Amino acid sequence: MSNLTLFSVSDLLVTVLLTAIASIFPEPIRGWLTNPDLLLGLACLVFGALLLAASMLNTILLIWWERKLLGRFMDRRGAMHVGFAGLLQNFADGFKLFKKDTVQPREADALGFYAGPTIYMVTSLVLFGILPISSGWNSGALPLTLLLALAVFSFAPLFIFVSAWSSNNKYSLMGGMRSAAQMIAYEVPLLLAVVAVVIVAGSFDLTTIVYEQQNYWFWGPLFLALLVFVAGMLAEMERIPFDLPEAEAELVEGWNTEYGGMLFAFFMLADYLRALVGSILVVLLFLGGWTLPTWVPAAFTSFPLAGIFWFMVKTYLVFGLFVWIRASLPRVRTDQLLRVGWNRMIPLSLLSVFLAAVLVTAKCLPVFGCVPSPGG
Amino acid sequence: MSEMWINMGPQHPMTHGLWNLRVKIEGELILDVDPEMGYLHRGIEKISEDRHYNEVITLMDRTCYVAGLAWEHLYILAAEDALHITPPERAEYLRTMCDEFQRVGSHIMWYAAFVQDLGLMSPFLYGMRDRDLVLDLFQSYTGARMTYEYMRVGGVRSDLPLGFTDRARRVLDWLTARFVEYDQLCLGSAIFRKRCDGLGVLKATDCVEHGVTGPMLRSAGMKRDLRRDRPYAVYDQLDFDVAVADGADVTARYLVRMEELRQSVRMLRQILDWLDRHPGPAMAEELPRWLGAPYAPVGKEGYLLKRNYPKGVGFSSVEEPHGEAQAYVVNEGTEHPYRVKFRSPVFANISAARQYLVGYHVADIPPIMGSVDVCVGEVDR
Repeated sequence: MSNLTLFSVSDLLVTVLLTAIASIFPEPIRGWLTNPDLLLGLACLVFGALLLAASMLNTILLIWWERKLLGRFMDRRGAMHVGFAGLLQNFADGFKLFKKDTVQPREADALGFYAGPTIYMVTSLVLFGILPISSGWNSGALPLTLLLALAVFSFAPLFIFVSAWSSNNKYSLMGGMRSAAQMIAYEVPLLLAVVAVVIVAGSFDLTTIVYEQQNYWFWGPLFLALLVFVAGMLAEMERIPFDLPEAEAELVEGWNTEYGGMLFAFFMLADYLRALVGSILVVLLFLGGWTLPTWVPAAFTSFPLAGIFWFMVKTYLVFGLFVWIRASLPRVRTDQLLRVGWNRMIPLSLLSVFLAAVLVTAKCLPVFGCVPSPGG
Repeated sequence: MSEMWINMGPQHPMTHGLWNLRVKIEGELILDVDPEMGYLHRGIEKISEDRHYNEVITLMDRTCYVAGLAWEHLYILAAEDALHITPPERAEYLRTMCDEFQRVGSHIMWYAAFVQDLGLMSPFLYGMRDRDLVLDLFQSYTGARMTYEYMRVGGVRSDLPLGFTDRARRVLDWLTARFVEYDQLCLGSAIFRKRCDGLGVLKATDCVEHGVTGPMLRSAGMKRDLRRDRPYAVYDQLDFDVAVADGADVTARYLVRMEELRQSVRMLRQILDWLDRHPGPAMAEELPRWLGAPYAPVGKEGYLLKRNYPKGVGFSSVEEPHGEAQAYVVNEGTEHPYRVKFRSPVFANISAARQYLVGYHVADIPPIMGSVDVCVGEVDR
């Protein structure tokens, strides 16, 4: 059970299926069908398709979760009528967008206008191939998954800016400018907060980072880093209070003003994909990933897919926190946001790096216990 | 980014209506603004000349769609002045109650729209939820939630239903508790104070120069309220304070409106008590028939037989939720007003936009314009 990964499952699936199909064909075709390279390629495809389905399903569920939570915060009920408790409402909305025409403004630059949302969507999806959801999820041993994830995550402002600029609308352009400025300003403290985690865990591999948290989760000793990380994540996800790039009060819809139909759905989905990635990263880096503390009875951790279950519970709770923030705070202004980003967040994140270094040097903490030796 | 003009409107989330704010910006900085009104012009003043006195009330509900009763009252005061009619005292109290409930409804609506401009999502729905209670009250005695057509020349259309005052008191209790919550969500938030303090400053002298009235004027420290300075209806018999603040900025306007809400509740309690104790007619007794029933059949008292009705000119000014509205009605002795003219406070308040917008950021436009409380229906009429 423990060495059963998602990839091995899809590999097994493809092998069994193709062998069964091949058995009814004569020899040369049977040989081609059971070619190990073909099997490997198909297994990769199935693996990708499973990831895609899982991430999209989760994203849509995340939107439902946000709508329900927001509804409760606002003293109403949220989506109710399509499906049980409105679970199918987002599918209905998505289908409506799917049926709509995509209107390209007359003087928009076609390449940027279409490539922008597409690549934004793709880069957001790529992240799900990297993040380990549970011990058996990861595709293989990549030593630098954290770095890769953050690198791909930071592609977004570029493509937001490309699509904003090429849609030839002043509001889009202003939204794109704001988005680029904001994401670049908050990338730095975000990465520095991650550095604090890396120092303590001694690894860039997300799986290792999770297993380093078996004594205590990092949110306690690295609380400052967690705060900086969550604030930076809010800015990266462009959620209230940092949703200036699409501040609907002044910029209509910000950088996606000119987008409609499926292209808008791409932006919308990618936004929530990134929100999901943000919550997942918080869980992985600070909340012990799919593990539970050792004092939890074994019954809670031993049922099938327990890792994924607890991981999802944590992720949705973290996202619930983001929704809570969204429901209760007003939006800040661009100059205030940037000032806070450069003047406050970066010193704080540097301080958190320093605290992490102190923690590693001191080896043990009175409350939290001892750090495992760096590198596992 | 170099300088450019952008059109915020006529269809833009900031406008809360149908008007256009042309903004010249450099980057995020506002260099110049140019408000353009007129997209919602329906010629209400001209149409009024072709209607019977009581039919104009229908149009009044459409001037300001969030403060219909205040505008009805404004017109009725001028029309009664022109027609030499005095309403019974109970009608005056009922109208004052309408005014104050309308102020509560309008200010709560303003609160909801204003916080939405700042990105606060939940208070928007709290505001809408609480305003609904006021609308329910309106519905219970006027039959409508937005276009009431409740007041008549010489009184009001109908008296209150049974048990209304108790219901109204319960609503007031609920609202009083909610106002505390509103303040906690806004004033208690550091981001709110950072966004609103010192924003959109319009000093008292500028207010006077540009004819800016209402909460904007009072937020600049000027204690001017028509309910106190030129009392109409029964405001001289009510006990209330004029809300004033001295910041002249968005926060000050917020404070003034929230205080006005509390004062309105205070007045409403007095009015409800009075209404409980003083039953009586709500319509003047000796009205000419043609006023009461515009399409009454031709007969002995029908409107066609109206002879030698005294001429007159009527003027009224009312502190409606957005500021000082004024009306002018000329009675030439026919069934129709000869001329009707209104002064919209919001028109003046928006026209001064250059004074309080230039020099701030694009992101400041929604909160500033939100604090002005725009109602385009009355701007364009």
